Formats: sequence, C-alpha cells, structure tokens
Amino acid sequence: MEQFLAALDGSWRVLAIGMLLGAGLPAVFALGLRALSWGTGHDVAPDGTVAVVRPHPLGRVVAYLMFTFVVLAVLVGITYIALHGLGWTITFNGAVPVLTHK
Amino acid sequence: MNDVTPEFILLALVVVTALAFDFTNGFHDTANAMATSIATKALTPKAAVTLSAILNLVGAFLSVEVAITVTNAVIRIQNTDGSPRAELMADGGHGLLLILMAGLAGAIIWNILTWLWGLPSSSSHALFGGLIGATVASMGWGGVKWVGEGYKLDGVVGKVVLPALMSPAIAILVAMVGTRLVFWITRKVAARYQESGFRWGQIGTASLLSLSHGTNDAQKTMGVITLALIASGWWTDTAEIPLWVKIACAVAIGSGTYIGGWRIIRTMGKGLVEISSPQGMAAESASAAVILTSSQLGFALSTTHVCTGSIIGSGLGRKGATVRWGVAGRMGLAWLTTLPLAGLVAAALWWLGHAIGGSTGAFVVFGIMCAAAIYMRWHSKRDPISHHNVNDEWSDSKDDTEVDVPVSGGVR
Repeated sequence: MEQFLAALDGSWRVLAIGMLLGAGLPAVFALGLRALSWGTGHDVAPDGTVAVVRPHPLGRVVAYLMFTFVVLAVLVGITYIALHGLGWTITFNGAVPVLTHK
Repeated sequence: MNDVTPEFILLALVVVTALAFDFTNGFHDTANAMATSIATKALTPKAAVTLSAILNLVGAFLSVEVAITVTNAVIRIQNTDGSPRAELMADGGHGLLLILMAGLAGAIIWNILTWLWGLPSSSSHALFGGLIGATVASMGWGGVKWVGEGYKLDGVVGKVVLPALMSPAIAILVAMVGTRLVFWITRKVAARYQESGFRWGQIGTASLLSLSHGTNDAQKTMGVITLALIASGWWTDTAEIPLWVKIACAVAIGSGTYIGGWRIIRTMGKGLVEISSPQGMAAESASAAVILTSSQLGFALSTTHVCTGSIIGSGLGRKGATVRWGVAGRMGLAWLTTLPLAGLVAAALWWLGHAIGGSTGAFVVFGIMCAAAIYMRWHSKRDPISHHNVNDEWSDSKDDTEVDVPVSGGVR
C-alpha cells in the first residue's frame, strides 16, 4: 500500500512537470510557427487571383524568439543527461537552471 | 588464475551474452526514438537509424554513473555496496555466473520473439524478468525482492510493476494535451509551414530521446558485465566500470540501434496511429519530457511504455484520427507477459544448465539461445521488413492473420 502511494506521489509529479515541458514546449514551438506564417495565410484573393503576401517582419522576430526558447530548453535537457552521470544535477532556482553537485 | 579454466570460459560466455542482449536492446528500442520521425518522413529511414545509433553510442559513454548495483532493485544476489553475495562466489563465482547467463539468455529470447511479432516490449522488463526467473530457480522465492519497504519505491512492485502501469497513462495524457494544443494553435497556418516546421522539431526531440536511451540502457548491461567480472575475481572495484566494458557496451547498443528493429518501427510508426508531423513532434516531446522528468525524480520507468503511450496520446489528441486499438491491445498483452515469460524461459534454462553442470551446462544454455535466435531470424525472412518497406500502408487483415495467431498461441 505504501509502495502504491509512493508510486502515485511520483506519478503526479512526473505528470505535472511532464505536462509543463512535454505539452508546453511543443505549444511554444507551434506559436512560433504561427508567428512565422503571420501574413502568409491569405495569399489567394476571393476572385481566385494569387497575391503574394510577404510574411510580417515582426512575426519573424517573435517566431525566432519562441524557437530560441525551445532550443534552449532542449539544450538544458541535453546538459542534464550529459552531466547527470558526472555527479551533477540541475536544480531550478526560480526559473533559471543552476548546476549543483549531487 | 590466468589459465583458461572452466570458470573463465563461463565468464566469457556471460560477457558475450550480455553484449548480445545490449545489441537486442539497441534494435528493439530504435523505434522509441525514431518511429514517428520515419513515419512522417522527417528523416529517411537510414538517416534516422544512423543518427540514433551515433547518439546512443555517445550516450553510452556519458553514463559513467555507477551502475553496478543495477540488479539490487529486484533480486538479492548483491550486497548493498555492489559486491556479489558470498555464497554465490564459490567456485570462481559459478553460481552467480549461471544466474546471469540464464537470465540474459531468457531476456534475449523474449526480445527477439517480440521483435519477430513486431511488438515493442520493454527491454528492461525482459532483463529484470530473466534475472528474476533465474534467481528464483537458483535461490528460491526468497531471492527476489518483491515489494520494497515503506515509501521508497523498490522491489519488483515498486521499480517495475507500478511504474509500468502509471507511465503509459502519464504519457498518453501529456501527448494528448500537447497534440490538441499544437493543432489548435496552428489551425490557421498553411499546411506547408506546419509540416516542414514540425519536422525540424521532431528531429530535435528524437535526438534527445536517442541520447537519453544510450545513457540509461547501456549502463544496465555495463553493470551486469562488471558484476560478472567481480564474481569471478577479474575485477574488484565496485565504484568503477572497466573502460573496455564501457566501449564494448556502447558499440553493442549503437550497432544494434543502427541495424534498426524495422518490424517494431513499422508497428509504432504506422500501426498504432496514422501520424503527421505535428503529432510526431507532440508525441516525442511528451516522451522526452516524461522520461527526463522521471529520471530526475528517481521514478524508474520504461522508455518503451512511455513512447508507445505518447503515440497513442497523439492519436487521441487529433480530431478525426483513429487509434488501432487491436494493435495497442496486442502491445499491452506483450507488456504484461514480458516479465513473467522472460522469467520462465530463464528459469528453465537455469535448471537445464544446472542439471548438466559445469561449463558444459553454460554452453548448452548458450547454444539453445543461439539456436532460438537463428530460428527466429530465419522465420522473419518469410515476411521481411526493412528500411525499404517500413513505411508501406498498414493493412489490418494481413497483420491480424500473421501476428494474432502466435500471440494467442503463447510462447513457442
């Protein structure tokens, strides 16, 4: 019974953090894609003529900010894997990842 | 000590068998990281297995964390510091080596059988199942740590059974929410941008998964080999793994990954859900997040269960997408049976090896394992799946007649 409770305890933690990272990061990536395509959505006029609409420059800036965020998160993930075996672990001081010795 | 004694031959057989298990672990799990990238054509099949193999190789070298106590979670053949129990050390560690030999052979046979059926089953469950079976055969039921004590997750129930029940559910939820969000956010984005953008995301997450697989799974085999070396007196340090063991394990898991378990890749990438790039990325992100989070929190779970759960979740999260529950059900059956059946095979092999005795017994066990592997490899030729046809349309009828029958018929 205690084992079961311990597993439940572990599960909800994994679920909460996993949801934040596993569903949150793809959502940020998707927002980036949406920002990137800002202005390109209506390149066919109602009468059928094709008008080339250039993407909005601000959309591009926002998009690359979002992508950078996702890439940084992935890099933190890789750093974690690489350093975990060397006896280091990542703790989160607020939102900033900090490396500490185990 | 340095003569070629029967104990040395037994040790060599155990090491070779452990490396063979690591190899099967590699090809069995290629699908976890790469199935969705291959199915959505984010990567060509060859590029996918090459990338995954390199990252597994690199990952294996990163796993320098001491893994010698790997068996302690489920069986009682080691002391808490990692050294083998004294009673198993007699005769140059013969007792312990035979347990490892039979356990690994049972795990390999089950891994190849599930590969033949194209079912992703957990390699860790197969390894633990094999070791548990061989231990029960050798030391009785008391040799296995069934339930951990108190609130620390341990034993077969805490380290294997409960995480196996929870982890697919967690992964399904995360991937379902992720998929739904991603489709909702990009609903007005041109399909062209959607596909190409998410393919890049997929490659990133698949790489992350491959790397973490290398670090997690290779070190289990490293631990087993080092334990065998300690038992037979060839190595004494319980805090360090010999360099050649690291290199051999890294190469074994990397080359296994490169060979690619195409049958399993096909089932996971095409059989469960017709997957698109956004779904693929959501599924892989969910897997990577759940696996890394749980290893940070010390909650042991199986990569295979998480990745399969994520793919199912990505099917549930997309409106109009269907999950082939027949395929999912067969996988579920394979998950439930992996541990007990790998255990039964290992127990039978241990009894046989013990009855014959000496290094002859170990040779017979090794021979049976090789014969079984060759037979199943030969059997797979009837219905070959390779990087040429891994992405062909999935047909349920063909699949049902060929896969259902052996599953319901039990182990051969």
